[in-house]
Amino acid sequence: MKRRDLALHLLDRQVQDRDGRAVSNVDDLELTFPDNGPPYVSAILCGPQALAPRLGGLLGRWLQFWSEVLSREKTVEPGRIPIELVNGIGSAVTVTKARSTLGVHGNEDRAREYLIDRIPGAR
Amino acid sequence: MKKVLGVFLGVLTAIGGFVDIGDLVANAVVGSRFGLSLAWVVVVGVVGICLFADMSGRVAAVTRRATFDLVRERLGPRFGLLNLSASMLVTFLTLAAEVGGVALALELASSVSYLLFVPLIAFLLWLVIWRMPFEQMERAFGLAGLALLVFAVGLWQLGPDWSQLAHKMLNPTVPKGEGHPTYWYYAIALFGAAMTPYEVFFFSSGAVEEGWTKKDLRIERVNVYLGFPLGGLLSIAIAATAALVLLPRGIAVDHLDQVALPTVLALGKVGLAFLIVGFVAATFGAALECALSTGYSISQYLGWQWGKYTAPRQAARFHAVVLLAIIGGSMLILTTLDPVKVTEYSLIFSAVALPLTYFPILVISNDPDYMGDEVNGRVTNLLATGYLILLTVVSIAAIPLMLATKAGQ
Repeated sequence: MKRRDLALHLLDRQVQDRDGRAVSNVDDLELTFPDNGPPYVSAILCGPQALAPRLGGLLGRWLQFWSEVLSREKTVEPGRIPIELVNGIGSAVTVTKARSTLGVHGNEDRAREYLIDRIPGAR
Repeated sequence: MKKVLGVFLGVLTAIGGFVDIGDLVANAVVGSRFGLSLAWVVVVGVVGICLFADMSGRVAAVTRRATFDLVRERLGPRFGLLNLSASMLVTFLTLAAEVGGVALALELASSVSYLLFVPLIAFLLWLVIWRMPFEQMERAFGLAGLALLVFAVGLWQLGPDWSQLAHKMLNPTVPKGEGHPTYWYYAIALFGAAMTPYEVFFFSSGAVEEGWTKKDLRIERVNVYLGFPLGGLLSIAIAATAALVLLPRGIAVDHLDQVALPTVLALGKVGLAFLIVGFVAATFGAALECALSTGYSISQYLGWQWGKYTAPRQAARFHAVVLLAIIGGSMLILTTLDPVKVTEYSLIFSAVALPLTYFPILVISNDPDYMGDEVNGRVTNLLATGYLILLTVVSIAAIPLMLATKAGQ
């Protein structure tokens, strides 16, 4: 077993899917406090909703505001990648699924759908 | 044999890619006002860019991560964002200046107002980024940029007294009629031109695009330590032609016309033809690098998929950012702001942002967690620390000097 410093080895690292594609950064971590036993990291949180509180201040609120304006579903919950899916922590954090199946890619999908796919030669 | 050819092409690309609108304008302006008394700044700048480009290339080859990816990891999201905002502002301004440079070069060729070319240039920039493979793109514009070697030929044809030129370079004095503040103001502009931040963003992201590994490091070093100094020599040649022709006649540089004038005087129409090809290739290539750097850095900070190695639809937000940057930069030039002035301001603001760019690279390349046994050696660290002190001084002095000299007047 290897000891990890969460702030140093996990926070703000790149998350890659099983095909080596960039998913997101580790914008925040979700800790679970069970009734019996010590707290543990239960998920990686990502997206502006996770990053905004960490930035704090005016900047954080501004990011929060715009991400809510731009997102169609008005979700206030950040993207969530359960820690069980993580299979490696190196210079990137790797997960065992393809990024399209993680359900954290709303903004990328929207950029593709509304802009990039409408331009010839996007494939 | 193929390997030798690859290294040779790499070095040529580095020479041709070294000079951009900032180097063209800064060296010509400085040559026309201060002769070669500021050539030493180019030397200091070239050593600096070699040192840090090599470092960022090594980090990228070992960790497979580009600069801004690591900036946020090591410096946290808040400082990372501050750094990103400042760097992107400067890179955006540089992008606008490069677009203006391409347009001015086309005006020089056609006598049609540069403003009419701007939309076309914007479209072509986007098209190249959308469709052209990375390596072909880098090579094509770097090699075409070699046409600028005509500056060196022109200098030789002007038949200067070489020993006197060397003497002026080695014994710099502030010329009569110019104040010390202006001298130092232009020293900073020239330094900003040699060490422009987008160059390292592009260099490290490009290393990831091309899939460098530790094995490629030796080739990378040859490219950097041979290509950049030769590019620097070319910069000094630009200043020297201006010093020989423009300085004695009191001609001020406010357009690419005057940058070209000494070489045209020496070589005639053929010289002009080479110059225009060189101007267009160098500024267009640099505009591509700036536009890509904007997309690279923002995507890296936010963890988005980036890069030309995947299809655009796999990196949708990256391509959206690049497209916006190109549109924005072109609009800035379409406001009829003088492109030469935009260039001068982009250089000064580059100088202000220098420590933000180079400090994180030094920190990361010393981290054994990322770098293993490829961490910096002692000599590199000593030199790099010295440079960081210099960059900080330059950064602090830039804005006060700009205000005190009314931007060099």
